[in-house]
Amino acid sequence: MSIFREHKTVADRTASDRRRHKQKIEKAIREGIHHIVADESIIGQDGKQKYRIPVRGIKEYRFIYGNNGKQVGSAQGKDVKRGQKIGDQQPGQPAQGPLGGDGGGEEYYDVEITHEELAEYLFAELKLPELQRKQLSNIDTEKLKRKGYRSSGIKPRLDRKKSAIARIKRMKAAGVDPEDLNEDETFPFHEDDLKYRHYKIAKKPCTNAVIFFVMDVSGSMSQEKKFLARSFFFLLYQFLRLKYETIEIVFISHDTEAQEVEEKDFFEKASTGGTKASTALSLTNDIIDKRYHPSSWNIYCFQCSDGDNFAEDNNKFIEEATKITSVAQLYGYCEIEPDVSWMADPGKLFQLLKPLSSNKLREVRINKRDDVWPAFINLMGKSMENA
Amino acid sequence: MDYKLEELKDWDERIIKLAKTHGLDPYPLDYEVIDYHEMIGAMVHHGMPSMYSHWSFGKSFEQTMNRYNLGAEGLPYELIINSDPSLAYLMRENPLYLQILIMAHCVGHSDFFKNNRMFKNTRPESVIQRLRAAKKRIQKYVEDPHIGIDLVERTLDACQALQFQTTKYGQVRRPHEEIKAEYIELINNDKDERYKNFNINMYPIEPDYDLLGFIEENADIADWKRDIIHICREEGQYFWPQIQTKIMNEGWASYWHYTLCHELDLPGELHLPIVKMHNAVVRPHIGSINPYHLGFYLFQKIKERHGIDECFLAREVCYDASFLRQYLAEEDCVELNLFSYSAKKKSSVTVDDVSDEKGWKEVKEDLIKNVSGGSIPVVYVDEMKRDGMLVVRHEHDGRDLELKHANEVVEHIKCLWNKQVKFYTIVEEEPWEID
Repeated sequence: MSIFREHKTVADRTASDRRRHKQKIEKAIREGIHHIVADESIIGQDGKQKYRIPVRGIKEYRFIYGNNGKQVGSAQGKDVKRGQKIGDQQPGQPAQGPLGGDGGGEEYYDVEITHEELAEYLFAELKLPELQRKQLSNIDTEKLKRKGYRSSGIKPRLDRKKSAIARIKRMKAAGVDPEDLNEDETFPFHEDDLKYRHYKIAKKPCTNAVIFFVMDVSGSMSQEKKFLARSFFFLLYQFLRLKYETIEIVFISHDTEAQEVEEKDFFEKASTGGTKASTALSLTNDIIDKRYHPSSWNIYCFQCSDGDNFAEDNNKFIEEATKITSVAQLYGYCEIEPDVSWMADPGKLFQLLKPLSSNKLREVRINKRDDVWPAFINLMGKSMENA
Repeated sequence: MDYKLEELKDWDERIIKLAKTHGLDPYPLDYEVIDYHEMIGAMVHHGMPSMYSHWSFGKSFEQTMNRYNLGAEGLPYELIINSDPSLAYLMRENPLYLQILIMAHCVGHSDFFKNNRMFKNTRPESVIQRLRAAKKRIQKYVEDPHIGIDLVERTLDACQALQFQTTKYGQVRRPHEEIKAEYIELINNDKDERYKNFNINMYPIEPDYDLLGFIEENADIADWKRDIIHICREEGQYFWPQIQTKIMNEGWASYWHYTLCHELDLPGELHLPIVKMHNAVVRPHIGSINPYHLGFYLFQKIKERHGIDECFLAREVCYDASFLRQYLAEEDCVELNLFSYSAKKKSSVTVDDVSDEKGWKEVKEDLIKNVSGGSIPVVYVDEMKRDGMLVVRHEHDGRDLELKHANEVVEHIKCLWNKQVKFYTIVEEEPWEID
C-alpha cells in the first residue's frame, strides 16, 4: 500500500533561486540601460511615460546543434510533400528529455520601468562634482527628504536592513527558531517584509548652482551630430532635474553669433551658418557677470561642438575659455565626431583646450551612440565611476 | 477538492492490486499532495525534494509560472522521480478522476524505473539522501568566506552546461593504468601489426567521453570545485537514462493507465473524463513528436503483433533508439504521417522526406538520430598535453554545432579545467577550432 502525505511545510523551496535570478536580471538592467540612453524614443520625453526595455535573459549555454540537422514530426494528414516549404514558422521543437536544453533563440524579458525609475537606475550614485557651499540664497528650495519607510516602492529604494529586520520579527512572531529548522526548510522573505525608503518634499535653503548648456548649431553640425549632442544634454538635463530641483539652467546656442534661448528652442532649433565658438563663451561670461556672481553661485558650463571653428576666432576662444575656468566649478567640453574613428586626430577646439590643463576643465569625445554614457560619466568625474 | 485522502488510498489500493495481476512490478509509491505553487517548485527541481540552490531554477520557475498564468501551459499531470520508494506528486487542485489516472500512470513509470536496464546504476534508493548531502556541501562552500556565492555559482554554471557530457550508463571510471595494461597486452601479442604505430604514452589512451569525469579526475583545482563537478556529474548520470527512454517511459505509463483504468470498473462520471483526458495526452503534436503518443502507439502495436510478453521484454532491454529501430515499421511511419524537415535558412523550414515507400526509412533514421539524447552533441577528451592543455573534440555526425553556444561552453570548460583548452569541430565541412 502506498503512502499519502499532505504537504504542509511553509517553506517556499525556490525562493532563494528566484531571488538570485532577480538579482541577475537587475544587474542586466543596469548594464543594458546605458545602451538605451541614446534612443530616440527616450530623448525629449516629458517624463510621464513608461518604457518597456528588453533585457537579455540570463542564458544557459549547452552544446546544441545548429540549423543543418534534420528533425522529425507528425503531420496532420497525407498532404505533406517532399521539398515543401512550411513557411517561416518552426514546426515545433523536437521531443526532448526532462532536462532538454533550450533552443538557439535569444530570450528577452520585457521590463517595464517609469521615467523616474530609469533616472534612478542611471543616476543613483551620481552628483555634481566640486559642489561648494556658497553664500546662502534667500530662496527656500524644495528637496526630497527621507521620511520613514513604506512597504511598497521601487527597487533602488529597497532598504535591505529594515527588510531583514522585518523578516526576523515575523520569524519570531511565528515562533520559528532558525536553529530548529530542518536542513531543507528555510524561512524566506515575504513580500510584506520588504521595506522601501520613503521620500518627502522638504523646503530647505539650497546651494546655488547654475548650469550653462552651450551647443553649436552651425551648419557643420549634421543631423547625427546634433542628435548625439542632444542625447548628451538630455541626459545631463534629466540628471540635474532629478537631483537638483531648483538648479538654474541657461541655454545658449551659437553659430557665428550666440544667443540665450528657451529650453524648447535649444533642443529643436538649427542653423546653417559658420562657427565662432568664442561668441558663446563670451555670452556665458557676460551672463555670469550680470546674474550669477561666483561668490554666490556654483557655476558649471557644458559645451557640445564638432570642433570646427573659424581660425581667426581661436585666440578669442581660448581667452574666453580661460576666463570661464577661472570662475566655474567645472567647464566640460564635449566634442562630437561621429564620422571619424577614435584613432583620428581630435578636432581643433579639443586641441586648443588641451594646453589649458586646468583641473576645472574636462574634455570628452563622442563618436557614436554608445559613447554618450561613458562621456557623461567621465565629465561628471571620478566620484561616479562606481555608478 | 472533491475527494478525501481516504478515497485516493482506496483507489490506489485497487490500482496496485490490478497492476500486480498484470505482472507489473513497481517500487512502493510515496505520494505527496501539494498545491500548484509547490508543484512548479517541485518541477523546476526535477521533482527532487532537496536540491542545491542555483539561479537557473529560479529562472525556470518564473518562466513556468508566467506560461501557466498566461494559460499557455498546463501543469504536468504527473511528476514522479526515479527513487525507491518512488516519490510522486499529486496536485491538490486536481479532480478525483485525474488523480486516479495519474496514480495508474505513476505505477507504469515506477515499474519502468525499476525494471528497465538503463536505470541499473542510478542508485534510486539513495538519490534523495545524496542530493540532500550535496545541497549541504554546496551551501557550505557558499558560506565559506574564502569561496563565496560568486565562485560557486560560476562553477555551477559551467557544470550545468556540461552536465550531460558524461557517461550515459553510470559506469565507473576505469583507472588509466588498467587501460594501459590492456593495451600493452594487445601490443605484445600484436601478430598482424595492428598496433604498430600506437602511441601508448597518450593521455588518455582512448578517447574519453566522460568529459566531466576526466576534468574531475585530472584538473589542477581546489577540492571544493572538484566536489561540485562530482555532484553535477552524478546528477547528469542519474538523469541520462530518463533522457534515453523518454518515449518508452511515457508510452509504457500511458499504456498502463489506459489498461488499468479500463479494468477498474469505474463509474461513468469518472471513466468518461478519464477517456477524454487520455485522448488529449496521447494526441499527436503536429510538427513534432509527442513521446506519450508515439510510445503509447508502439506498445499497443507490439502487443497486437507479438503479444504482451514482448512488451515486457522491450520495457526491460530497450531504450528509445533501439526500441524504434526494432519495432517502428513502415506502416507505422505511414499511419503516423511522420516526416522529416530542416531549417535551410534561419527562418524557412523545408520538408526533407515523407513516410512513403521511398522515404520512410530515411525518416525513421532521422527520428532515431533525435531520440535517446541524440539531440545532445557528443564530445570527448582527445588528449591532455604535457603543459596541461586539454584537447576536446566534437564527434561530428553531419550536424554542425551552434557556434554561439559552443564558444560559451568552451569558456565553461576552461573555467573548470583552469588551464588552456582547445576545442575542435567541423563547420560547413571545414575544420573549426575554438580556444
